[in-house]
Amino acid sequence: MSETTEVFSVLGLFDSAEALMQAIPKLRERRLGHLEAYTPYPVHGLDRALGQRRSPVGGMVFVMGLLGVATGLLFQWWVSAVDYPIVTGGKSPSSWQAFVPIMFEIMVLFAAFTAGLGMLLLLSRLPFFGHPVLRSRAIQGITRDRFALAVEPGREAGESARFDPEAARAALLAVGARDLETLPALERGPFLTAGSIQKSLAGIAVACLVAGAATYGAIKLTPVLSPVSHMLVQPRLDPQMESRFFKDGRGMRPPVPGTVARGFLPPGFHTQDEAAQPPAQHPRSAGPRQGRIPDPLRGLPRPPGQRHAHPDRRLRCQAGQPHGPQLPGLHRRADLRGHRAGQERHAVLCRGPARGCPLGGGPLRARAPAGAERQR
Amino acid sequence: MLPDSTPFPLADAPENLRAPALVVGKVTPGSLDDQVLRFPDQGPPLKWYLALAFTGSVAAIGVVLIGYTFWTGIGAWGNTSPVFWAFDIINFVFWVGIGHAGTLISAILFLFRKRWRNAIARFAEAMTIFAVICAGIFPLIHVGRPWLAFWLLPYPNQRGIWPNFRSPLLWDVFAVSTYFTVSLLFWYLGLLPDLASLRDRTTSRIRKPIYTVLSLGWRGAADHWKHFEKAYLLLAGLATGLVLSVHSVVSFDFATSIVPGWHMTIFPPYFVVGAIFAGFAMVLMVLIVVRETMDLRNLITDFHLEVMCKVILGMSCLMGYAYAVEGFTAWYSMNTYIQHTFMNYIHGFYGWAGWLTISCNVLIPQLLWFRTCRRRYFWMFLVSLAVTVGMWFERFVIIVISLYNDYLPSSWHVYKPTLVDYGILLGSFGIFFSLVLLFARVLPVIATSEMKADLPGSQPRHGDHHE
Repeated sequence: MSETTEVFSVLGLFDSAEALMQAIPKLRERRLGHLEAYTPYPVHGLDRALGQRRSPVGGMVFVMGLLGVATGLLFQWWVSAVDYPIVTGGKSPSSWQAFVPIMFEIMVLFAAFTAGLGMLLLLSRLPFFGHPVLRSRAIQGITRDRFALAVEPGREAGESARFDPEAARAALLAVGARDLETLPALERGPFLTAGSIQKSLAGIAVACLVAGAATYGAIKLTPVLSPVSHMLVQPRLDPQMESRFFKDGRGMRPPVPGTVARGFLPPGFHTQDEAAQPPAQHPRSAGPRQGRIPDPLRGLPRPPGQRHAHPDRRLRCQAGQPHGPQLPGLHRRADLRGHRAGQERHAVLCRGPARGCPLGGGPLRARAPAGAERQR
Repeated sequence: MLPDSTPFPLADAPENLRAPALVVGKVTPGSLDDQVLRFPDQGPPLKWYLALAFTGSVAAIGVVLIGYTFWTGIGAWGNTSPVFWAFDIINFVFWVGIGHAGTLISAILFLFRKRWRNAIARFAEAMTIFAVICAGIFPLIHVGRPWLAFWLLPYPNQRGIWPNFRSPLLWDVFAVSTYFTVSLLFWYLGLLPDLASLRDRTTSRIRKPIYTVLSLGWRGAADHWKHFEKAYLLLAGLATGLVLSVHSVVSFDFATSIVPGWHMTIFPPYFVVGAIFAGFAMVLMVLIVVRETMDLRNLITDFHLEVMCKVILGMSCLMGYAYAVEGFTAWYSMNTYIQHTFMNYIHGFYGWAGWLTISCNVLIPQLLWFRTCRRRYFWMFLVSLAVTVGMWFERFVIIVISLYNDYLPSSWHVYKPTLVDYGILLGSFGIFFSLVLLFARVLPVIATSEMKADLPGSQPRHGDHHE
């Protein structure tokens, strides 16, 4: 396999850009094949002298920039106005002015990636390791201070068969090229190419999109995934809710008979500690609120069928009165239905995954109690 | 078509009217490579190792203290009510600002066809990237739980929530990350031909494969150069808009709030000017050191340094104008709160910081009106150092002084930084200069392919090649 049958190009070196530019028109007249130049820096007018087309980078960047603006606007609008509206400063959720900075950044990002990576991967087909020119002796001059002109077989069908390396050599010598080389074509494809990188990048992008869409859809379909711990389903005890945990079916524990909670001692009674202290230091008797006991249920309408006439039912209850399921309170279904205040309270509590919630609703759905609306 | 060596059309014009040469002595493409690209192949001198050891130690202090902050929490810093933004945000704004000079030199001056930028663009761009790295550290550690920083990005998540796109802090996330990405792309793209040159020069078995991979198989084909030049031009245009937007967005963090002293319409241009000002001072300081230690006096000439000094002087005057407008706004607004805050800048507990800012940023740079000061290292260094200190304190004035006396006098509280605050600030300088030192030895400090294209006689004289 040492004999190379295919020739990639015949390449000659020049010492100045001037000499290169003068040689190009002479060689183009001969129509020996495709001409390509290799230079250490961009030489003005070289692409035109070689008859190359203008670079399409500008158009690509423009289109992708517009796409970036559209993406930025639509995504922010969808998030802020449709999927997750947050009202800030009383502005309309779809007001676009606040989206401008990020629209601009996304535009720049899209355009810059198109200009940079698009130029490399799509137009220049780089990376390309092991290109025949990279293996040549000339490359050390090309990336330093010399200018190479290469005659390659034409790219149209049949032209490569007609390519004559000897004629190309002679023509290059005739226009003053030196250090001529005949470069063999690649025996096998390079290891890592622009194409393979494009495919990987596209694969990553698709994977990200699919994963994102799947996550989003899963959250919308099942907001509470059972394996994932969720604050709404943790075991908890609300005083105003029914509970099957206790035998009496109440969430609120009755106070121990014969005891009283701190701060709810009726007037005229003293704890042992308080009795031992001088009365002036008693916290309840000090200050302007002396003698007043707060009524936690003041203002609530009296439920029908109330048996306890005392305005402070809690006080009586805690002071050791007999109590049981017949005691009116907000934690009984029958009482709840009867009172607006209790209904509203219950609607708030029933936003959790309460079983047997009388007013319906479920996790993340209940916003306002429909029954309460009707009864008003 | 004019000879490229003289941008000024009249070659026989009087000496003082001729455009100065951009290189001193005879420089050819080959000699340029030999001069600039030899550094990666040479063993660094002892003083480079000493310098790196020093900056590395300073960086290590910062890293350790950042770790300490993670361990104990933000309480390790001096931030407390009402000054919740302090050194972290000051350092963030400071470092982002330092980065802006690099983009200005590499992109805006490129669009203006200022060819003197070629010699310093690569270094300035590298400093941009390092400065943005330093800047990015601070908001990340300031969020308290940096391992959850990805919550800032809009992605579909298990929590079912999205970030608030009306928050300037989120704009900042996009602006700074875009800025870093585009700067890196722009820098790397410009490096490609130089990496190819390094690849073909070096005989080292370690560096050759590295440069081979990094240069992506660049072979200098005319077809590639055509796309490359166009893409570089477009990236410069995009980076220009970007650099103006980034510091404007940073200033929105302040300007869209209702804190007196922050709620000002002048903030975006004021911040951008300040950023370029501080960045140029930093670039000038580093460039002087690089020029002397790496023996690049013929490529980075006195003319380059003088032009940079003039930019600093111009920006200094703009800063003076901005400070004056702040005072005028406070007075003209007839708003007690703004007036109180402005008086706090120059009077009261932190009044010294305001005067330090004005002295360093407005008064000392006026020295650069004198040609002697634009030519002597001592004066250039003095001014640059003053500007760096002054611009850091400017952010201190804006952030801390506006916050420590807020609307509610009962919550007024003087801010005192802790040793951890100082240590992290010091560490960020260590990180920055360590990266600069490494860059100077591993990659070409001057964009050789760009300079080659502008050397005398490098372009063909015949033919119409100007669009």
